[in-house]
Amino acid sequence: MAKYLTFKVWLLIIALILSLLSIFGMPPSFFQKGVLITSVEVNSTAFDSGLRQNQIILQIDNQKIKNIEDFSNIINQRFPSSNDQKLSIKTKDSEYILFSNSSPEIIVQNIPKTKIKLGLDLVGGARALVRAENKTLTSAEINDLVSITNNRLNEFGLTDLKVVPVYDLSGNHLMLIEIAGATPKDLQKLVSEQGKFEAKIGDEVVFIGGNRDIASVGRDAQTARIESCDRIEQGYNCRFSFAITLSGDSAQRHADITRNLSVNETPQGRYLSKNLDLYLDDKLVDTLLISEDLKGRLTTQIAISGSATGTTNEEAYQNAVDDMKQLQTILITGSLPYKLEIVKLDNISPTLGKDFVKLILLAGLASIVGVSLVIFIRYRKIKASLFLLITSFSEIIIILGIASIIDWNLDLPSIAGILATIGTGIDQQIVILDEARHQVLLSMKEKLKRAFSIILGAYFASVVSLIPLLWAGAGLLKGFAITTIIGISVGILITRPAFTDLVKHLEKE
Amino acid sequence: MEKLKRFYDKSYKKLLILPAIMILFCFVYLFIFYQTHGDFIKKDISLTGGTTVTLYQPLDVNSLEKNLTDKLTDLHIREVYDLTTKEQKAIIIETTEEGQKTKKILEDYFGYELNDKNSSFEFTGSSLSKTFYRQLLFAILLAFVFMAIVVFLIFKNFIPSIAVIVSAFADILMTLVTFNILGFKMSTAGIVALLMLIGYSVDTDILLTNRLLKSRSTDSLNKKIFEAFKTGMTMTLTAIVSVVISLLIVKSFSVTLTQIFTVILIGLFFDIFNTWLTNASLLKWYIEGKHGKISNL
Repeated sequence: MAKYLTFKVWLLIIALILSLLSIFGMPPSFFQKGVLITSVEVNSTAFDSGLRQNQIILQIDNQKIKNIEDFSNIINQRFPSSNDQKLSIKTKDSEYILFSNSSPEIIVQNIPKTKIKLGLDLVGGARALVRAENKTLTSAEINDLVSITNNRLNEFGLTDLKVVPVYDLSGNHLMLIEIAGATPKDLQKLVSEQGKFEAKIGDEVVFIGGNRDIASVGRDAQTARIESCDRIEQGYNCRFSFAITLSGDSAQRHADITRNLSVNETPQGRYLSKNLDLYLDDKLVDTLLISEDLKGRLTTQIAISGSATGTTNEEAYQNAVDDMKQLQTILITGSLPYKLEIVKLDNISPTLGKDFVKLILLAGLASIVGVSLVIFIRYRKIKASLFLLITSFSEIIIILGIASIIDWNLDLPSIAGILATIGTGIDQQIVILDEARHQVLLSMKEKLKRAFSIILGAYFASVVSLIPLLWAGAGLLKGFAITTIIGISVGILITRPAFTDLVKHLEKE
Repeated sequence: MEKLKRFYDKSYKKLLILPAIMILFCFVYLFIFYQTHGDFIKKDISLTGGTTVTLYQPLDVNSLEKNLTDKLTDLHIREVYDLTTKEQKAIIIETTEEGQKTKKILEDYFGYELNDKNSSFEFTGSSLSKTFYRQLLFAILLAFVFMAIVVFLIFKNFIPSIAVIVSAFADILMTLVTFNILGFKMSTAGIVALLMLIGYSVDTDILLTNRLLKSRSTDSLNKKIFEAFKTGMTMTLTAIVSVVISLLIVKSFSVTLTQIFTVILIGLFFDIFNTWLTNASLLKWYIEGKHGKISNL
């Protein structure tokens, strides 16, 4: 056995060990107990207590949490309750105390067994590809758009997300948004709406969304609430209102404009002759009466209101909450400088993803075994077939190892790439086997050098043919090119040289 | 085998007529196809734009098709099934209709809300699909040119390089035509698979050319070709075995992967044809023309 352990074989073994470490982590995560926090709602009780994404919960109220079932059991026992409950949550490094009458606003999952990340098309989630309507964006503009959108989605309460600019082969700039897990219902609205907010008196703009005019937006129970719900002709209507603080400049504008307005006497009281009209994307959201005592005064505190309808009371209430949240988000983040168009929108359910992963593993395994059988039938050599089997397996493990080091999300195209690499990888091993057996005149070293020149040629031809795919189609098919390039590079640098050495000794016997 | 060797040695030039006829047929076919369909392929919704909906429940495909055909344009329904029991697990509805509209129509039809627990929606706008299509074609062209450059750099010899490039091209062309004749619709994944064929195809071609041009053995040219043939066939056959096995499994759940492996499978069969008829014969012709016939068998 020892004679097989040449430098190249050792290299393969080391690469394998490193890959396994990067896939399973150190210490291996399948021994770890607890649940992983995947997201925490911003400004919630849980958030305020210090809980954050990626923390691992080990204990709640001194009861050990091993998995998601333990977690839900405890939470369901305690909540909802009529009065505030004390909850002590222990994570790896610290302990957090919460007082609340509803369950903590966090989403948890079992600790993943491996560090391999799967793409949205397998784990579920939402993906949107967005571009500016009738406008070609420069890189600076797309970067601005990305940061505004990121901000907006964060303010809306989404944390487990990725917003990046993407470029395609024709030099177009688009924005890619990926949100893992549960999909917000309003994603389309939230992303594509320009969010141009204007508060006008008559034709004059008093203030707009964004931090230049608005110093802060109230979002806690005291400053933002659903005021009332009423029955209307078709269903229900709920009104919301929240307080905002104007900046000095916009307060001054408000004072200047209202100074010249006259006062009207109405049955409800004395109000100024013109109203404050709130527009979102040029549509009137609400009209507010301005009371007489505000005339010409520098006020920074203003209440913004609006309403939403629904067929049932609950639906109207929920819609009002959603609309309020969206309006708050827009007031904080400001508007986008142009209209956007969603050119691709995927909402993938996580329902069948796990089954798919199992089937893909099965496909990979079955084809390696099948191919090894063919090799055995062709060469009638147990050892050679076995080496081939081991080499192909190591290749897949190393690809997965590299994918988890570079944090690559394995989506279906990436997996197709890995399966395809099994095919080409085996092709090259056959070249090595055959070159080693033929051409009796040459020394073994010569023969294997020749085998390698064939493989190297094929390698470069394949790599260059994959390169355009990195950009074509806004990079949505990039995964295929990435895993294939990793796969064949691993082949040429690590597994193939090791296989060559193994075959060398095999032929000598 | 000996008979075959002798036959090939004698009539390899005549055999070249076969690929020539096939290439010609492909061109004519594609020309007519283009005239009637306005494009070289039938595109599925990943290339025309539209919506794919996956519903995670068993449903009767026939009655769905009957009831939804006039509501959803270009409707196409497939099944996702369990590999062992063949039991239906989900259905996939494809239409060129826009995403929100499709959702509304389906919700009206089923009478309940479609959310991320019971369904998946994938919508691609038609303008985006058009750019995707153009770019993928460009990517194939680019990939082909890159590959050709690498092949020239490896062999530094015009005719053998051209032989490799021609056979890779014939491979893609024949696969495309077969795909059309079988009535399949091409998706983005399918085009990616065509691009991948470039890699699979030059593998065996490079092996062959290397063995024939760079070998110092005293074997006859014909013998060298047949030795290379043995290696190359093992390569392609194992690749076919691995693709067929993968195909049988992925067919049950993934349209994308099924298409990729179908294209590769067709391509691998043509690779056998093009490497060992087109490329080998061209190469033999070139070497014999240059050095005279070295020896008989």
